[in-house]
Amino acid sequence: MNQEWPVAELDPVRRMRVIAAATPGVAYAEKLIPAPFSAVWAAASDLERELPRMITDLRSFEITSARGERMTAHASGRLGQRARFDVVLRPGWCVMQSRFLIGGMAAVPEAGGTRFAFLGGLRLPGMRLLGPVLRPAVRKLALRPISRLEHRLQAR
Amino acid sequence: MVLMTGPPEIDPVLVRAAQRGDRIAVADLMDALAPYVGRVCGPIALHDGPDAAQEALIAILKNLRSLRDPGAIYGWARAIAVREAVRVARKAAQAVPAELTDVPAQGDPELAADVRDVLARLSPGHRAVLVLRDLEGLDEQAAGDLLNVPAGTVRSRLFRARRSFRKAWAP
Repeated sequence: MNQEWPVAELDPVRRMRVIAAATPGVAYAEKLIPAPFSAVWAAASDLERELPRMITDLRSFEITSARGERMTAHASGRLGQRARFDVVLRPGWCVMQSRFLIGGMAAVPEAGGTRFAFLGGLRLPGMRLLGPVLRPAVRKLALRPISRLEHRLQAR
Repeated sequence: MVLMTGPPEIDPVLVRAAQRGDRIAVADLMDALAPYVGRVCGPIALHDGPDAAQEALIAILKNLRSLRDPGAIYGWARAIAVREAVRVARKAAQAVPAELTDVPAQGDPELAADVRDVLARLSPGHRAVLVLRDLEGLDEQAAGDLLNVPAGTVRSRLFRARRSFRKAWAP
């Protein structure tokens, strides 16, 4: 007889939903990608290579230091913008933030492939007020990077 | 049936950073709280536990600025988690009325039940009382305050809930 009390587990995608819901004004979307978790995450977690492909405004993303799952990175934009990012990266989970930006990816295996979540947005005080207004509009913005990742996985 | 084990301490510096809007700190705080919230929501919301834990963590992180004392974060998070778990469980209409007479009798093949089976025979309100008293060690007054019911109601719910466990596990 199992006398253990049930414990509710939260997988990485559910955790990213929490971050998205608790962060005003971010774009968030998730999608089932018909590819195994290992292939999806191998591509997505190669941040230096994959992020500039997923986010077309980004020219480069360079990891400058790493200690376990914590990293720092320098990002350069197509218009010459530069930002330093703090990054946490582990299997199925990535969050990053600069002074003005926040980003995140999460993935879990699911029947039919991999559920993949993407989050991105601005860290500005006004977002608390604007967030609810922007949320429907920005969902499309979060779907595009997922679609780009999916197309590349299909092309392999 | 008291199973109290204290959750690991959370650094007040992490809580303060999350309150200031540091999203890495928010994610770290969520990771730190998730096992505890999952332990509170699991026995109350059962198979809707992940939904309840998700909703509880959203409410916790959205309202983080209202927490004045970072040292009180577990008690504060527990109140939110219990309420969200009861709400989600009730919404999912999985509540079985608090009639415990259908607990299988001794010798019944269904007696090979686990904790989950016994919990499933209780209403979310009864399960919440069990979690607060037997897992969390709150007294009847504190449990009643948290659930917005009189201490006497906590006592009667607890009596009936414990009786169902005793029946299910009688030697």
